[in-house]
Amino acid sequence: MMAEWATYTLADFLMFSPRVYFRLVERYNQGLWPFQLVFIAGALAVLFATATDGRRARAAAMATLSVAWFFCAWQFLWLRYSTINWAMSYGTAAFMLQSGLLLLAILWTDRAALPANSLRRRGGIGLMVFGLLAYPFLPLIAGRAPASAESFGTMPDPTAAVTLGALVAFLSQKLWLLLPIPLLWCAFSALTLLAMEDFGAWAPFVVILTTFALLLVRR
Amino acid sequence: MTITRRAVVRGLGIGMSMPFMARPAMSQAAGLMARSIPKTGEALPLVGLGTWITFNVGDDSVLMDECAAVIAAFFEGGGRMIDCSPMYGSSQPTIGHGLARIGYPERLFSAEKVWISDTSGGAAQIEASREHWGVARFDLMQVHNLVSWDEHLPALFSMKASGRLRYVGITTSEGRRHREIEQVMASEPIDFVQITYNILDRAVEERILPLAQEKRVAVIVNRPFRQGDLIRRFEDAPLPDWVAETGARSWAQFLLKFIISHPAVTCAIPATTRVDHVRENLEAARGILPDEKLRKRMTAYVEAL
Repeated sequence: MMAEWATYTLADFLMFSPRVYFRLVERYNQGLWPFQLVFIAGALAVLFATATDGRRARAAAMATLSVAWFFCAWQFLWLRYSTINWAMSYGTAAFMLQSGLLLLAILWTDRAALPANSLRRRGGIGLMVFGLLAYPFLPLIAGRAPASAESFGTMPDPTAAVTLGALVAFLSQKLWLLLPIPLLWCAFSALTLLAMEDFGAWAPFVVILTTFALLLVRR
Repeated sequence: MTITRRAVVRGLGIGMSMPFMARPAMSQAAGLMARSIPKTGEALPLVGLGTWITFNVGDDSVLMDECAAVIAAFFEGGGRMIDCSPMYGSSQPTIGHGLARIGYPERLFSAEKVWISDTSGGAAQIEASREHWGVARFDLMQVHNLVSWDEHLPALFSMKASGRLRYVGITTSEGRRHREIEQVMASEPIDFVQITYNILDRAVEERILPLAQEKRVAVIVNRPFRQGDLIRRFEDAPLPDWVAETGARSWAQFLLKFIISHPAVTCAIPATTRVDHVRENLEAARGILPDEKLRKRMTAYVEAL
């Protein structure tokens, strides 16, 4: 059995062409516009929450992230992506589960936040800024059409990046429950983009590495 | 001598009258060389149409229409066999869209697969596939990648006996599980086997292709271009000076002619999203085919590149 698995390459698991995938993203973006702006406003609320020690602000951030995961699951994974990738029925279930876990996380935001000047908190905010502001510009360096831009709340990758940043920045418990799905998604997405030979594959890899690096930082 | 696919497609209007070399068990259907399905004698053109990746376009109407144009060109060029699987995403509805547009040609040879480990769901999956295609029944149903083959095959043989299928087969790809394939070929009355075979992946020449001839099993060849990798690898290299002896005028035809010139091969199924490429592929089944001596020369040339 090991010998058989050794015959597979990354490309063997890719069941659609890059052209089909990025056209799907472009059509999705065009259909949603200007709804992306709503999520940008929501993301700003998340960022604001990380800048305060307020429990309500952290709870609002968790709720915003929960809505973002639900929206990605429903609108992108289930209604769009699953038309070319049957595995996305499992992806949808995982995203729905993460949405529920983030709602539960509201209960866990009553613990004291990390100190505002801690390296981990500043790093988490950096990861959020990366997910919010850098991700939409990835097509420019990957040589794709700007219409294939990925933004928080509508596409999984930046949503996972912002979520990981927010969790490591200001949630001090239950991380073992909340981190696996975003991290696994980033790994899946990075491998998919790598199989498509898309330059943007480095982004989810960076998100994974940054998250683990921040988790190792004590303060 | 560097020949691009595009240049060849432009030149397809000329040079189609090359002498046809008659070979055993071969005939011409709609101008394409064909080989008989051993157990029935039904002739199949040597080049068919695969759909892995290329026809998985979701609900993108522009891309669905591009695939419909490929299907139309395939039948205009004399093609018959289209091969698909429930594993191929939206490829089945895309085929249905293309076939509906040209009114379901009578000479369609529909090749599908059953791909489910829980065999109690096999019949429902086949029915769902049939609805996607919009055909009354499939000509060929294959057990995809040998998934639960020992349980699927009795059900497929039963469907064949009751007229709900015409042929039964099994598939594998990329050289996997060849011993199991041999076991099934030796012990089960299958009509078709689908395997990977191309100028660089020739493991099946040792045992499976001779066994297919011995057991009178038709052979479908997948991944003739290693999913386009062989074309990309060789397209900048010159074709040999003696390429005219093979009947090929491009790398795609050179690679296809190597495959379909093996006497055990019934049909190769290259996949494409382009009308010019499907025409170029079909042209490989016209003209002449290399003999054994020339096939060895083709192999040596490619391996030296």
